Amino acid sequence: MAVLEVEGLRKTFFRGFLRRRTEALRGVGLSVDAGEIFGFLGPNGAGKTTTIKILMGLIFPTAGSANVLGAPVGDRRAKQRVGYLPENPYFYDYLSARELLDMVGRLHGLTASDRRRRSDDLLAKVGLAHAATRPLRSYSKGMLQRVGLAQALIGDPELVVLDEPMSGLDPIGRKEVRDIIVELRQRGKTVFFSTHILSDATMLCDRVAIIVRGELRDTGPLGALLSPKIAGVDVVWEGDDHLAREVVVGPGAHERTSEGRVVRVEDLDQANSVVAAIVKGGGRVLQLTPHRQSLEELFVHEARAGGKEDPSA
Amino acid sequence: MIESLQRIWAIALNTFRETTRNRVLYVLVLFAVALMAFSLVLGQLSLHENTRVIKDLGLAGMSAVGLVIALFVGVNLLSKELDRKTVFFVIPKPLDRHEFLLGKFVGMAVTLVVLVAVMSLTLAGVLAIEGGSHNIAMIRAEALVLLELMLVTALALLFSSFSSPYLSAMFTASLWVIGRNSVELRTLASGKLAGTPAGAVLETITALLPDFHAFYISGASIDGDTTLSVHESFVGWGYVAEIALYAFLYGGMCIAVAIVLFRRRDFT
Repeated sequence: MAVLEVEGLRKTFFRGFLRRRTEALRGVGLSVDAGEIFGFLGPNGAGKTTTIKILMGLIFPTAGSANVLGAPVGDRRAKQRVGYLPENPYFYDYLSARELLDMVGRLHGLTASDRRRRSDDLLAKVGLAHAATRPLRSYSKGMLQRVGLAQALIGDPELVVLDEPMSGLDPIGRKEVRDIIVELRQRGKTVFFSTHILSDATMLCDRVAIIVRGELRDTGPLGALLSPKIAGVDVVWEGDDHLAREVVVGPGAHERTSEGRVVRVEDLDQANSVVAAIVKGGGRVLQLTPHRQSLEELFVHEARAGGKEDPSA
Repeated sequence: MIESLQRIWAIALNTFRETTRNRVLYVLVLFAVALMAFSLVLGQLSLHENTRVIKDLGLAGMSAVGLVIALFVGVNLLSKELDRKTVFFVIPKPLDRHEFLLGKFVGMAVTLVVLVAVMSLTLAGVLAIEGGSHNIAMIRAEALVLLELMLVTALALLFSSFSSPYLSAMFTASLWVIGRNSVELRTLASGKLAGTPAGAVLETITALLPDFHAFYISGASIDGDTTLSVHESFVGWGYVAEIALYAFLYGGMCIAVAIVLFRRRDFT
């Protein structure tokens, strides 16, 4: 069952005195299934936040439709089952984390005891129990991101929408957020998050969508989007200069690194020949690394393709 | 219905916290209290009119300080949410946009009630020091000040739903100045300008714009003979109720228009 359904979504902004048109979204369509972690990827200015703002009822689409948990965007009962963390979250800085969670809990209709219990649990989970009563104005960016995650989860939502959730977090914080996202999936929740940190998407997502200049370029499981074909193999080895001259397979393919000499070949057959030559010549093979298309390469490829097709680019 | 009221109260409580944690508010209230204390000194300089001076200066201070707070906090109720981007996290929560706006207004109204109550108690204390009484007429006058401040807040909320805080403050202050002088403007329209197009325009404007003079009527005359004053003859509860209804209807209309504008607004 789809928990998020978007069809032909368009958004045009008119800016400045001369009402200059900016097409932020050009017919975006996607569907997110229940229980999956869905990554929404795209370079800066691609339309990720605009799409999420439409889904969260912050802006209205110029055309197209969007349904959240089976109801049109803005439906209060659907909003009750959604948790949202905005990009670079800003909260009421005169409140403490506990007061903020209490306020959001009230909006979700929770009782006082439930608000207290869930606040304590969530603040402990995001590592802010020690700062629960401090005003948010004294929080660092990473701490605000964590309290943002806590407020998104206080209503025990079925769908969690996170706009750049790893932004501003140190490696430990990112790992904790990743763990929370995985835990949410294990509890049957759906997570829709935007990011430009591709390693996070690679580690977490069941499916991704890539948006470039307001258009969806690709949607699907990462395995299906990435080419399984081997793009090259690095052979790291050690041996003398005489042997190095024998195993050179082409100009520029041979280099020295701190790990040893590296030969880059096109496929596994060539790699086998090079390994045989090294061993035969008295050298030692240290490492063999096959290269498949990474999400980063796919992302860059799609972004460049989008740029070429866009006459305004 | 009850759930909706609970959501409105959640926003109101937050707005109340916001305003009461603003240090500027305390500076202004301290100014009003200092003014009341100063009236003790001025009272000593007058000839057996100590309590009269304290009452007049106290009510004027309460009205002026309340107006500054209602105006500047009122125009920032929405614009702060937009400038500080807090609206991005609160609008997607399970509440309707009109509930958010009503919550902001209710929170500000509660702040004003507390503010006027604190200033009234201070004034009563200052009067007690001088052996004067904080009589029922004073309470009626303070109730009228409170109603005026609430109407100013509703106007400020309306303007801030579509314009910048500076413009909103300017528009609201302009309407307040016109409204406070509505009697003079009506006299001008029906006197010197009677029968002229300018007179007709002025009459229409004074009829449409809020009549703030009705909230601060000391010195005015009802029947042409008696001058209204909290010291001698002041309006009764019937008048206060009538003005409360006027403020409720006019303020309600302002908030309704603000809701219509706010509902279709893009938060980019």
